[in-house]
Amino acid sequence: MQSDDVARTVGAQVGDRLLGVDPFPRTAGRLRFRPDGALEVFRTVKERLGFDHLSMVGGIDWVTHREVLYVVWSDSRRQYLILSADLPADAARIESASPIWPAAEWHERETWELVDIQFDHHPDLRHLLLPDGYEFHPLLRSFKLHEPEELEVKQRSV
Amino acid sequence: MWINMGPQHPMTHGLWNLRVKIDGEIITDCDPEMGYLHRGIEKISEDRHYNEVVTLMDRTCYVAGFAWEHLYILAAEEALHIAPPERAEYLRTMCDEFQRIGSHLMWYAAFVQDIGLMSPFLYGMRDRDLVLDLFQSYTGARMTYEYMRVGGVRNDLPPGFTGRARKVLDWLSDRFVEYDRLCLGSDIFRKRCDGLGVLSAADCIATGVTGPMLRSAGVKRDVRRDRPYASYAQLDFDVAVADGADVTARYLVRMEEMRQSVRLLRQVLDWLDRHPGPVLADRLPRWLGAPYAPVGKEDYVLKRNYPKGVGFSSVEEPHGEAQAYVVNEGSEHPYRVKFRSPVFANLSAARHYLIGYRVADIPPIMGSVDICVGEVDR
Repeated sequence: MQSDDVARTVGAQVGDRLLGVDPFPRTAGRLRFRPDGALEVFRTVKERLGFDHLSMVGGIDWVTHREVLYVVWSDSRRQYLILSADLPADAARIESASPIWPAAEWHERETWELVDIQFDHHPDLRHLLLPDGYEFHPLLRSFKLHEPEELEVKQRSV
Repeated sequence: MWINMGPQHPMTHGLWNLRVKIDGEIITDCDPEMGYLHRGIEKISEDRHYNEVVTLMDRTCYVAGFAWEHLYILAAEEALHIAPPERAEYLRTMCDEFQRIGSHLMWYAAFVQDIGLMSPFLYGMRDRDLVLDLFQSYTGARMTYEYMRVGGVRNDLPPGFTGRARKVLDWLSDRFVEYDRLCLGSDIFRKRCDGLGVLSAADCIATGVTGPMLRSAGVKRDVRRDRPYASYAQLDFDVAVADGADVTARYLVRMEEMRQSVRLLRQVLDWLDRHPGPVLADRLPRWLGAPYAPVGKEDYVLKRNYPKGVGFSSVEEPHGEAQAYVVNEGSEHPYRVKFRSPVFANLSAARHYLIGYRVADIPPIMGSVDICVGEVDR
């Protein structure tokens, strides 16, 4: 029932850029959307449905494509909602959620460096956990754990 | 002028670097620099069996190992469609709450030392050791327990444990009164903490801050109450909140949380005394590496045809709200494991609670955030 409500409200705002809301245990559902409607989906979810607390952003490398995940929480509904978009592996980019949820800033920096998903219009997209100048994206499936990589780490600018 | 506080600095409590821009004594900008402790735990998890990841979870946050084990196990069980027996859920709740006391005592010891009070540090560490002794008596370890398993926990409690645990709780309840007298009664403490590091409720929500920092701003939010896991739905407790959103308010919230943990633990210990039973689900697939699983041909079939699934869990960790997302693609390894660390989000809001204060205010403010670098960097 909860996911029906979410689907109706978001669908009315973004039309066919909403791909569907699947049931997900003990959450308001898993909302799939087309990446070109990202900002409108975020804004609708925050302002019309009250999911004002962004908990995390993450990425999954499915080899054929990449999936970007957002987990948001609403205090009034006491529920989580999972947002998910599929991005092509050769051009994995999506609009940054940081204008809507400032909390996204660090999570997107992490997702960019680990899963190689580009966040457009991010205020400060630079390395967070890995050294500056590190060219690999460790959480891609093509990054093998048992093969040593040769790398030259540049000094961080101070 | 930019100055580096860290990676080796008495304030940091772990390897990280707080770069602050100062104008005289006033902080005008800051930029936490993380990654010194990045071990790639999410990547290593993809190469391990489900139960082997538990070993990594202890090391993700080394002062709250049980909370992270619990977090991962909840998501993994959802992804693998396995349910634990009820006694195991109560045992996990007990682990979580003792861990909360242990972690908050560690925070108390480190925080008051940052402010300049030495004896509370010794008292905090002394009392934390009693909790670690209890952990040692049923897991064999004081920090890295490897106790929880997919489908339950590794072993039951030794005889006489609940009696010993109650004695520790009685001792701790009396000590909390002394702690308050030592800190809240001290002018030095109040002058260094009152009105510092204020982060309003609206800023907390915008920047994703959770846990004691959010509750100190008056927001009554706790995963244990809002989305109960394990056996919290059957237990009685209050969510600790405070007004003021400053360093003192965070102190008050953590102290009240420890009292509530004692209250929860008394109920859990009573339940455990009355309800003996199995602590690990039977008929677990053998490839999970479960010690008591029946050996048989059907396990091989099960592994080949194991249903896929996705698990999402959230846990009220001592530092705030932790989340895990586990993807099971029908093999013995998780396909992807993603964690949300509460300290990661609390630290990302540093600009909001540091700018405008003085350099000498940094140790009490950052101390009140309760930073564990292991879980930020993962």
